[in-house]
Amino acid sequence: MLDVAAMLEVSSLELRYGAIRAVKDVSLTVGKGELVALLGANGAGKSSTLRAIAGAHKPASGAIRLNGEDVTNLSPERMVRNGVAMVPETRDVFPDLTVAENLRLGAFTRRADVSGVEEDKARMFRLFPILAERAEQAAGTLSGGEQQMLVVARALMSRPRLLLLDEPSLGLAPTIVGRIFDMIAELKDSGLTMLLVEQNASMALGVADRAYVMRLGKIAADGTAADIAAASDLKALYLGS
Amino acid sequence: MKDTRLSLVILIAFVIVLVAGAEIAEIRLFVRIATNLSISLILVLGLQVFMGNSGILSFAHIGFMGVGAYASAVLTIPLQMRGMALPDLYPIMAGLQVSPYVGILIGGLTAAAVAALVSYPLMRLSDAAAVITSFALLVVLHTVMLQWSAITNGPRTLFGIPKATDLYLAAGFAILAIIGAMLFRESRTGLLLRATRDDEIGAGAIGANVSRLRWKAFVLSALFAGIAGALWGHFITSFSPKAFYLKETFVILGMLVIGGAPTVTGAVIGTFLVVFSFEALRAVEASLNAAKIFTGQVVGLTEVVLALAMIAILILRPGGLFATMEIGVLLGRRRKKSNEGEKPSEGEK
Amino acid sequence: MAVYLQFIIDVLSLGGAYALMALGLVIVYGILRLVNFAYGELIMVSGYTMFLLGDSALPWIVMAAAGVFMAIVGGIVTDYVAFRPVRTKSVTAVLITSFAFSTLLQNAALLFISPRPRNVPLPDIFSETVRFAGVVTPARNLITIAAAVILLAVFAWMMKRTVLGVAMRAAATHFTMARMLGVSANLIISTAFAISGLFAGIVSLFWIGRIGSVVPGIGLEPLLIAFIATVIGGMRSLQGAVLGGFLLAFIDTGLNYSLPQDLLKFLDAFTFSLVILILLWRPAGLMKGPASGQRT
Repeated sequence: MLDVAAMLEVSSLELRYGAIRAVKDVSLTVGKGELVALLGANGAGKSSTLRAIAGAHKPASGAIRLNGEDVTNLSPERMVRNGVAMVPETRDVFPDLTVAENLRLGAFTRRADVSGVEEDKARMFRLFPILAERAEQAAGTLSGGEQQMLVVARALMSRPRLLLLDEPSLGLAPTIVGRIFDMIAELKDSGLTMLLVEQNASMALGVADRAYVMRLGKIAADGTAADIAAASDLKALYLGS
Repeated sequence: MKDTRLSLVILIAFVIVLVAGAEIAEIRLFVRIATNLSISLILVLGLQVFMGNSGILSFAHIGFMGVGAYASAVLTIPLQMRGMALPDLYPIMAGLQVSPYVGILIGGLTAAAVAALVSYPLMRLSDAAAVITSFALLVVLHTVMLQWSAITNGPRTLFGIPKATDLYLAAGFAILAIIGAMLFRESRTGLLLRATRDDEIGAGAIGANVSRLRWKAFVLSALFAGIAGALWGHFITSFSPKAFYLKETFVILGMLVIGGAPTVTGAVIGTFLVVFSFEALRAVEASLNAAKIFTGQVVGLTEVVLALAMIAILILRPGGLFATMEIGVLLGRRRKKSNEGEKPSEGEK
Repeated sequence: MAVYLQFIIDVLSLGGAYALMALGLVIVYGILRLVNFAYGELIMVSGYTMFLLGDSALPWIVMAAAGVFMAIVGGIVTDYVAFRPVRTKSVTAVLITSFAFSTLLQNAALLFISPRPRNVPLPDIFSETVRFAGVVTPARNLITIAAAVILLAVFAWMMKRTVLGVAMRAAATHFTMARMLGVSANLIISTAFAISGLFAGIVSLFWIGRIGSVVPGIGLEPLLIAFIATVIGGMRSLQGAVLGGFLLAFIDTGLNYSLPQDLLKFLDAFTFSLVILILLWRPAGLMKGPASGQRT
């Protein structure tokens, strides 16, 4: 048992797509300041779990608590206002909007604080210089790695307390993946709480504090990152024995 | 296939009961209502053939009813009246007269021909654009009917169409329409078309040419509409372009939507429901006006109620009453379930 | 020379009205992927509002503002009555509920006011004629051009510069993602309907200004125009709607000028045939909308 106060608590989550149960019974916690990895093969239900936490998918049963408050059925926009930001796996930049417009939109919930938003935008440009270069370009013209940085920066614009990352390395070249994970490590060092879904187990375990492994809609294993990394049956967990 | 036959038997039975009931009651009003209902059946079934299978809303349907009505009228108005009814009619047609039965067929074929010519470009449009363009097509057909005085007598009423439609003729065509719509639905074209409705890309992968499939369905539906129009013309003996526009479009859409667009059962049940409700509402309207409860005339009550009913159905049962399965299939399933339930008690082994 | 100028003024004034009308339709369609069949009735609502205020001593501009306001209200009410209850059900469901709502509104006017045309107050300036460079045109046309230009410019500014405008453009591309950034769905949708009502309200001033009276079915023609302009412009493109509006006005006015007298009554049929040719050539419309993987 952890003695860190849990910021996020998911209990017995069940998610359905029509008649199909994509997530059968998932329980996990994320403590303040932790980086928790959610691993598993394709179709295990990791992305669905993240979407449910973000409010984009109504659970069939189960509960989600944020800092003790029940947020199970809140809409996505309410979750953002509660400090939860999500970076989806599909890397949905708005292709026709410029990089700057994408960032501005990320701060939608803080739009009354004009100077604060400007400060944050400047901060993002310092953190990700490549975005500053392309500030007035249409987001659809950016490369995959640049778009990944944009969507993370965009999510950070809302000053979230909890960042949900869905497969940030998907479809990116290995060198870029390295840089993305450097960025994730930096964010962790700055104290941001994160829940990271990844297929690339080794990179994820390199930055995470703890990890859960999902298989066919359930948690099959959990422990510290070191424990999970050392577990020899990780492959079996992914693929089934 | 057995279920399809069961559906056909049930639906045709509806029509037969309707005819029998009207004839036995021997009230002229009932016969009139039954005849109109039969004609509406043909119309709504035609709409079902296109809308139900392609998933695309078509507003142009009533326009083709008008094409059929006018085409048949022009060729069947007795020669001695032709000069009065259509003074500017072209010489080729002015001397030609055919029997109303031939006229009805010509009406259907003309509507189908017009549809065939005009609609192919529309079939390539995306769903929303197709709906909008069908709406515009209705307006164009209406404009042509209003303005082409030589053939339609313009916005004025066209008189003199020989009365040839009786309850048996209308009901007979209605039964043919039920069979036709069902056969189309289960045909290769119908099945492929329904596949495109649910998954356009997947259907394309198995070789379905979406535009052509839609076009075939559209032309067939126009054939139904044209025949219905001609039948109606020979029943009512005089009409004007006003009869083929938005109000009527709304009513037939209501019938199909409430009943369930994807199924033939839906078209039939929906038509029966709406026609009977309308007659009931008209009676209410008439007695309200007679009792002089409101200062003015109560008009438009039926449309308002229909509109509310449509909205309600769409909220509660978005696909309509019979949204997925024909009635034969529904009953077939219930029979199968009760059979399976009996098996354990059929004796121990 | 004067004929060309006359032609240009006619096209610009008609096109301005058409463009605004089309834009109001696309705003809702682009974000919700839903066609609002009750859109034309907003012009009817505005017209009847002004008719009902016609006997009062209010200055015209106040009555006009009231008409526009009621159109905006009508737009938002359409959302709550015809769209929200069925939005998640199916696209066809919404088409039909808005069509039903349109019938409801028209019959309400029929029942509670009158099926016959009712006079709507107009400012004197509308009927004054302006002469210059050999052109004779009602002042109303020039005012229409000015209003269209101003409104389109303000709208473009709003879409580009304000965060709400950026949010609306984002919602038109990917609504769920916008919500995951904190954009409130209800706010965006209500704003879209309100803007749609605003445009319809402004157009109603000029549309009714041409005729001078209002009937229950007055909304049909503007609705049709908005439909056609939208389809040829490209269903989800805001610029396409504007382009479609002007193009339609160009075709209409051009045919009006050039068709022989006895064919003029078939004007709509000719316009539509040309539109069909455009659609044959470009089924998706002239301008591409925002990128999206979803069905249009």
